[in-house]
Amino acid sequence: MDEFALIQSAQHGDLDAFNSLVLAYQDNLFNTALRILNDEELAADATQDAFLSAFRSINSFRGGSFKAWLMRTVTNACYDELRRKKRRPTTPLEPEGSDGDEMDAPRWLADPALTPERQLEADELEHAIQHCLDHLPMEFRTVVVMADLQGLDYSDVAVATHTPLGTIKSRLARARLRLRECLQGFRELLPAAFRLQEEPTR
Amino acid sequence: MNFRDVELLSAYLDGQLSPSDSIRLESRLASDQNLQAVMDDLRTARGLLRQLPQRRVPHNFTLTTKMAGLKAPELRVYPVFRLATVVAALLFMFTFVVNKFAPIETIHLSAAQAPASGMGGGCNNCGPAEAAPAATEAPVQPFAAPAPTEVLPSTQDNSRNLTPSTQQITPKAAVPPPVINQPSPIPSEAPVPLSWQISIGIIAVICGAAAWFLRLRSEREFQKRWNKK
Repeated sequence: MDEFALIQSAQHGDLDAFNSLVLAYQDNLFNTALRILNDEELAADATQDAFLSAFRSINSFRGGSFKAWLMRTVTNACYDELRRKKRRPTTPLEPEGSDGDEMDAPRWLADPALTPERQLEADELEHAIQHCLDHLPMEFRTVVVMADLQGLDYSDVAVATHTPLGTIKSRLARARLRLRECLQGFRELLPAAFRLQEEPTR
Repeated sequence: MNFRDVELLSAYLDGQLSPSDSIRLESRLASDQNLQAVMDDLRTARGLLRQLPQRRVPHNFTLTTKMAGLKAPELRVYPVFRLATVVAALLFMFTFVVNKFAPIETIHLSAAQAPASGMGGGCNNCGPAEAAPAATEAPVQPFAAPAPTEVLPSTQDNSRNLTPSTQQITPKAAVPPPVINQPSPIPSEAPVPLSWQISIGIIAVICGAAAWFLRLRSEREFQKRWNKK
């Protein structure tokens, strides 16, 4: 069954059809929420809320990119989670070690395909990128996550964030500029290919 | 270099520039090392973000019927039974209201009939059991109360003056047999007979039970269907 048929069935109240769409897009929505919120539990809550909200309002979908439409629901859910988090601060995502410090690369996030050294490097780089993302204003973070992490084109990002196309271009440029400045502080973590690329520019 | 240039570079990386703008920017990039450096940095940042691994979802986010707030679909006959229950219940209550006010009218009639039967010379042949209802019912109606007391003596006086032969004839002539043999007025003159009331009540109960059973069955089947998935 193609996506259009599934959407139409879901619009007639077919929960099975909607759940097929959930399975197709849950990775995208969860990873978007995770990068925006930087908290797995909150991201899972936001993703679930987003799908629930999407099912309830699926009749308002009038065509276009369904992924972009879903991204809008998850963005709204992330804003709600952040507002809730501000009202009720919770414990951080990173578990604490025996010395009470936060563990940067918890074991349960590790990729088993990598060697321990490479895993450590990858985790550190990921942590550095996430750190830089966290320091972006929310509207910049949302745009850069959708465009660069989820690969949405500008028009879909504009739909997903309810923002004019010109603003998207501007926000994306600013976000990348800030990330560039932030990542310069983690130069030693960058993969060799990126370091080599950057050498002549300095 | 200004922010406008950064915007152009960012859009160029994503292939969002028009062909003419792209050519113009490429010629500038070839001659401006500073612009090229910023371009490389932006490309690095973009490349790093795109290389971020996708995390696996902690669990599936599929919705259950409870989460989605879905209800079991109604069977087609369900609304019919539901409507029949409501109508029968309303009728049942209506019959009670009608029957509650109707006895007053029947008492009026019986009170009005009491003098008529009394004026006809009393009811000597009537036994105490037949005379009693008129006497006991009379106090219920204030205007009817004196009737038996006033009428009965006169009929007694009249009966004393009459010969035995007339005493036997007069009651028969004055009080026709149907009136004397008429059963107790309240139950027989109720607008809605008791049997009807019982029938309507039974219909209401049966339709209500059928509607409840159909609803229960469709909900169970709905739940069973979803639990299998």
